[in-house]
Amino acid sequence: MEKLCVASEEQEILSKFNVSVSKGDKVLIKGRSGIGKTTLFRLILGFRLPVAGDIYFEGKKIDPQLAWYLRKKVTHISQNSDIGEGLVRDMIEEIFSYNANKGILDTKELHSLLSKLSLNKEVLDKRFENLSGGEKQRIAIIISMLTKKEIFLLDEVTSSLDKALKKTVVEMFLNNPSWTVLAISHDTEWERENVRIIDMERIQEDINVCS
Amino acid sequence: MSAVDITITGMVFCFLLLAIPIFISYRLKLKLINPTLESTIRMTLQLIFVGFFLTFVFDLNSSLLNILWIIVMIIVASYTVLRDSELKQGSLLIPLAVSFALANIGILLYFNNFVIGLTDLFDARYLIPIAGMVIGNSLRANIVAMNDFCYQIQRDENRYLSSLSLGAEKYEALKPYMRRSLRNSLKPTIANMATVGIVYLPGMMTGQIIAGSSPLTAVEYQIAIMIAIYVSTVMNVVLGVLILMHQGFDRYGIFRKSMLKEA
Repeated sequence: MEKLCVASEEQEILSKFNVSVSKGDKVLIKGRSGIGKTTLFRLILGFRLPVAGDIYFEGKKIDPQLAWYLRKKVTHISQNSDIGEGLVRDMIEEIFSYNANKGILDTKELHSLLSKLSLNKEVLDKRFENLSGGEKQRIAIIISMLTKKEIFLLDEVTSSLDKALKKTVVEMFLNNPSWTVLAISHDTEWERENVRIIDMERIQEDINVCS
Repeated sequence: MSAVDITITGMVFCFLLLAIPIFISYRLKLKLINPTLESTIRMTLQLIFVGFFLTFVFDLNSSLLNILWIIVMIIVASYTVLRDSELKQGSLLIPLAVSFALANIGILLYFNNFVIGLTDLFDARYLIPIAGMVIGNSLRANIVAMNDFCYQIQRDENRYLSSLSLGAEKYEALKPYMRRSLRNSLKPTIANMATVGIVYLPGMMTGQIIAGSSPLTAVEYQIAIMIAIYVSTVMNVVLGVLILMHQGFDRYGIFRKSMLKEA
């Protein structure tokens, strides 16, 4: 049982925020811009430290060592999909040359994901920085899936996609029961039956105390 | 044969040439009159001091003193690199100076022993001017590399953090940044090698020819020194960036903005 628990009291951005997520949970995080949704992800990943409060992963409080471990267990796609530059092919190669990802690249799966998300194979020979916002998002999504992790932190990954693609992506993430997904999004496609919604504007109503 | 000594009158004529840039600055309102005068005065005083100092060092020619002087040069160089890269001296100065010292002194001794074939490796006449050229030239490259690295890591912070969340270790995630800084900083040195002799005659060669060496001897030295400069630049730049990669990030792998002078 994996447990991700955030209890951060960062004044002005996030305060009195308390949530816990278990393995297989699908969570949608909503709320107006600037309320601290992205900050929440950065706190979880140890990219930022809470002023007060604690973050727990697998029952342990986050410290530098655990943060590095967590980053290998979690895949995070940041807003604007700003994940790299150069040929898409080279980017993928670089990411799968990391020690943590060595030998796990499944080329067949890469091609099937490309076609599932309506991308041509030729996209691999384009420069990432020249792709459109929607193409970047799809490449980032594909890479995140290829890293074979089971916890996803998705920050506005469907914002530039058309309706049909939004639906496909949402289903890809939600239909795998063993995946834990936390998605920040304004897209209504994410609001489904099995998805727990955390509206950060009405946070007081949704308090789960961390144990 | 030895070079003609420049007389006091000669020096006065030389300084008179400065009237041209001063006039231009005045007419075009470049506001460069004060900096020009200030820099000229600083240069003159520093060189006069070094002239007397080197005369003293050369007369004494003590290995220990020569090495000490080189260490002073290296500390000043490390300080300058950090200052001009807008970095605080704090946690960086000592590792930088130590690594520069090891790399540069290593290269110098190799050079004096195997290339020139000196019996006294610490001979002031060779050690100090060559050290000056090697350290002075790698200084510029180092400033470029450090600046470039800090600039990139701040501009592309999201990209760096993305790599971390895609499973990269700190060094794996920083590799692309390191590569780019090294390339950017080494390009001028490489270009310099390719144009030497045609576009410009380097100071050392010119100096040797004026002092009476045959152009061929001057060329031999120039080739050797260019290679020494390039090698030591590569070593210094790599060490500098590695130190930055090591000291510049906290235990969570986040860039320490506190290292930068005023945010």
